[in-house]
Order: sequence, then structure tokens, then C-alpha cells
Amino acid sequence: MVAPPDNDVIWARSLHHSHNGSPALAGVSLGVREGEVLAVHGPRGSGKTTLLRCLSGQTVADEGEVSFNGSALHTLPPYRRERLRRERFAWIGPESSLVPELTVWENAALPLLLRGTPRRQAKAQAQEWLDHLDIGPLARQRPHALSQAQRQRVATARAIAAAPTVLFADEPTASLHRLDRAQLLRTMLAAIRSHRITVVLATHDPEVAALADRTAFLVDGRRVSSLSAAETEGRAECSLSV
Amino acid sequence: MLALRLARGAHPLVLLRRLLVATASAGVGFLLLSALTHALSHPGESSSSLLRLSWCLIPLAATVQFAVAVARTDPSTRPRTGLSAVGLGPGRLAVLAAVSTTLSATLGSMVALLFFLHLRGDLTGLPFDGAAAELLAADQPLPLAAALILLTLAPLTATAAAALALRPRTAEPAPDALPKPPAAPGGLPWGCALTAAGLAVGTYAARVKGGATVQLPGELDAHPLGVLLGWALTAVGLAVAGPALTHFCGRLLQTRRPGGVRLIAGRILMAEARRIGRPLGVLCAVASAAIAAWALYDAGPGPFGPLTGLGATLVIACTTATLLTAVTDARYARSTAVQGLRELGAPAKSFRLAAGLRTLVLLLVFAPLTWAVATLAAAPLTG
Repeated sequence: MVAPPDNDVIWARSLHHSHNGSPALAGVSLGVREGEVLAVHGPRGSGKTTLLRCLSGQTVADEGEVSFNGSALHTLPPYRRERLRRERFAWIGPESSLVPELTVWENAALPLLLRGTPRRQAKAQAQEWLDHLDIGPLARQRPHALSQAQRQRVATARAIAAAPTVLFADEPTASLHRLDRAQLLRTMLAAIRSHRITVVLATHDPEVAALADRTAFLVDGRRVSSLSAAETEGRAECSLSV
Repeated sequence: MLALRLARGAHPLVLLRRLLVATASAGVGFLLLSALTHALSHPGESSSSLLRLSWCLIPLAATVQFAVAVARTDPSTRPRTGLSAVGLGPGRLAVLAAVSTTLSATLGSMVALLFFLHLRGDLTGLPFDGAAAELLAADQPLPLAAALILLTLAPLTATAAAALALRPRTAEPAPDALPKPPAAPGGLPWGCALTAAGLAVGTYAARVKGGATVQLPGELDAHPLGVLLGWALTAVGLAVAGPALTHFCGRLLQTRRPGGVRLIAGRILMAEARRIGRPLGVLCAVASAAIAAWALYDAGPGPFGPLTGLGATLVIACTTATLLTAVTDARYARSTAVQGLRELGAPAKSFRLAAGLRTLVLLLVFAPLTWAVATLAAAPLTG
């Protein structure tokens, strides 16, 4: 095994993974430095989500290594990976996946409550981030009363309020309109940079990828140096459907 | 045909549930046929035969409740975007569910008929043939039309109830819309009032001599009709109060600064109060009736007969199975939320802990209640 570089928080080497025989990752190597925002940019079906799931320990790749802070992640038993996800990582998906039974602030405070943080402190921390993301007044509402954009803000607050080391964001703005998208991303990235949270951001949108410090391009489960070929292909498909 | 084809690929647990519906339907069919044979062998005692027939209504009701619960939770009849896109919307799926219910219930009725004829000695070649020839009036020819009508009773009512329960009522929600949590169920005042009234009627009727009397199945001494009416009122009261009590249990779970697990467990219980509370209330009513009846038979001259035993087993098994089916359904309904929590790193242990907490608090509230109601209901009869 090659020793992972010291300054990488997350480091992966030649990840191979397939879902029921259809290949998703074909030898991806990646290093994420501390405090940086890394965009994983590629078209739909290029293996972005699978890569993020492997890096966050939700899925163990068929082949290859993943390490977090210099120690191997892929060899850990499931409950240790769960604890890592609970205490060091945060996840924002394309859907907000809030718990419908809980109120907005309880949803945002849930990772803290699951860690055993006292209720009062968890509430204060969640409320602070809800205010930061301009949804403070909605704290007592249930998720069903919120718009899609507001729900995604709650999911963001939930991820950041737990003060993670690494934040995985899988197409966090895919279901939003342009205006909401730009605003949410700007607020999110400002908050992240001020707290030096490391971010791995998967996106198919070049505008979103442009906001990151560094971009890794992914096509058909492989890292490529640029996305020009894949992008023109995507454009052609779009023009047909319009 | 589609119902059969979908059943072929179904999960074994789903098939087991349908098999249980068939078994329950077979039990009800057998009880109804036994009531018919009582009428055949005792031509003079029509009121007693009618009473036997009407006692069969309780297992029939339990079976229908179970069949509806199974049809409601059947994954092959759940609205699916894929099937909706090919024109199989919620309306057609309700029809499909009703057809599946008919199939399993009819299968049960056929088995009941075969078993009945076998025990009567009409079908030979297997062990125990004619074992109950005397009890089942083997010397009398079986009236075909009557037997068929009785056997179609369970499938027909189950189908009608399933179709009625699953008929599409509101417009389909958008796929990305979150389900709106249901409002807190009312019904606690009504439930309490009905239970109290039932207990009062029962106690009062037991003291008054010389009213109309009713015989319990398999027992010789008659009891005042008012006592049974009281029991029925109590049972209805418990079933009505069930959802509100479950909601209260959820609230109880989150008292005094809950952590993550207690918070989730309590909120889930509150959200599922309607789904789980009703079968739980019914089960509670059945259990309290069973406890009271047990005390009664214990004090009486002898043990109850095989048919009474079959009926009681059927009712208890059906109500328990209905509750379990509702729990499975509730579990399916929150699978997306659970998936989201797993992404956050919520450990599998915490879900088990939450489920254990919910069960514990429900037991702590419902078990003493059942016992108290049973004791109060049995007091005037045995004392």
C-alpha cells in the first residue's frame, strides 16, 4: 500500500466499483487537501455519486483504497464508518431528505442530537445556522410547509451546524431554480470557507464547478484532464430535447 | 391475470400474508358451515342456530379487517410511477387489490369446504375422514345453495371492504412533495365515554334479574343481553380511543429534553398514531374480552368446545396479524426518511433502540388499560 500524502484529508487510490455489473468507477485516484473546496465535475452517470459515497464510507469500493486523515477508511467495519459519518462528515444530497415528523430546527440539530450534544446547545447551534441561511423564522415549521429551496437550505444548515471536518455535497442545487441556486451556493461556500471545512462537491453544472478552488473532471468513471469532449456531447443532447 | 402474475414475483412475506388471509377465510368458512350443520341437526331450535350463526360474525369481522390491512399494504398494489405511466393508475390498482383479496379469500373458502366434507366423511381416502361425522350432521344431506352462500360471505365482504378502503379519494401527490403529517387524532373523549358507558351498562345489566338473556358459545348458562351489549360498547370505545392513546404515548416518549433517539421515536409514534392506533385499540379490546371470557369460563362448569376455540383463536390471530401488518406498512412508509438518516451516519442500533422504546411505551400504557377494562368487565359476571 502506498502511504497517503500528509496534507490530504481524504485520499483515494485507483477506486473501481460496479453496480450489478454496470461499471461506475474505473480506477479513480483523488486527493482532497484540508480546507479546500474540490468540485467533482462530470455529466450524469459519470460516477460522481458513487465516488462520493465511496469517499464518505457509505459504500466500500470493489477495489482500491480510501483514507481519511492518513488512516484507512475502506477496511473499517460498518459501525466505525457510521461513527465517522456521524462525527466527522456531513452529507447534502440532491433531495433534502429531511425527517418529515421533525420541525425545521430539530432536523437541523439532529446530527448534534445523535452525537449526544445537550438539547439546549444543539438548538442554539442549529438556530444560528438557520439564521445564517435566512430561514431562522421558519424554525418551528414542518418540512412539508417549506418550498424546495427552503428545504435544501435546512439540509445545508443541518450539514454545517454539526461542524464537520469534511462536507460531501452531491448535486446540492440540482433541484433548484437559477436564482435560488446561486444564492444558496454563495451563502454555503462563504460559511464553509470561514470555518475551514473541507468540501467535496459533485456537480454537472460548470457554473457551480467554477466556484470551487479546484476541479476534478470525471467521465464514465475515469478522471480526465478536461471535460470539453463530454460537454459538447451533452450540449448536442440538450439541443435535441429543446 | 395481472394480479396472479404480480403475485408470482412477490416477496415471500407478502405471499405469507395472503396465505394467512386464506387461512382466516377458511376458518370463518368452516365456522359458518358448522353453524349450518347445527341448524340441520336441530330443526326445532331455530333461535339457537341463529345465535350460533351470529356469533360467527365476530371472526368474520376480524378476518375482513385483516384482509383489508393486507390489501392496503400489498406492495404490488401500491401506486407506482412506472405503472401509472403505462396507465395503471390508483383506480385500477384498487381493483387489482380487490381481485387479489378475492383470490386468497376464495381459496380459503374452498379449502374450508374440502376440509368440512372430509371431516363429515363425504370425502374419503385420508386419515381422520368422518372424524366429526356426528357433530357435523353427516346423516343429513348438505343444502348446496346454503353452503355456497355461507362460503361466499367471507370473500365477498373482504373484497367489498378492500375496494372501499382503497378507492382513490384525493389527487395523487407530486412525487417530490413531502407527506403532510396527519393532525393529532381526536376520539379520546368519545372512546372514554363509550368504554365507561359499556362498563356501566354491563354492571347494571348483571344486577337486574329477568331481562333478555344470551348464551355464550359453548356455555350452558345464559347471561343477560345487557352484559354483552356492555362488552361491545367497551370494545368499540377502546378501538376509538386507540389512535389518540398512541399519539399520547408518542408525546410521553419525548418528555423532558429528549435526545436524538427519543425525539425520533416519539415523533414517529405520533405520526403513525392513526395507522397503528386503530388496530392496536381493536387488539386491546379483543384481549380484554379474551381475559374477561377466560375468567368467566374458568368460573363456569366446563371448558369451551372446539368450535368456540377455533373462533377465539381466529379473532385473536387476525387482530394480532392486522397490527403486525400495520407496523410493517408504517415501516415501509418511513423507509425514505430512514435512508436519509443513514446518510447522516445514524447507527443501525439507534433505529432498533427507537423501535424498542416505542414498543415499551405502548406496552406500558396499553397493557394495564387492557387488564383494567377486562377486570371491570368480568367483575359483574363472576362476582
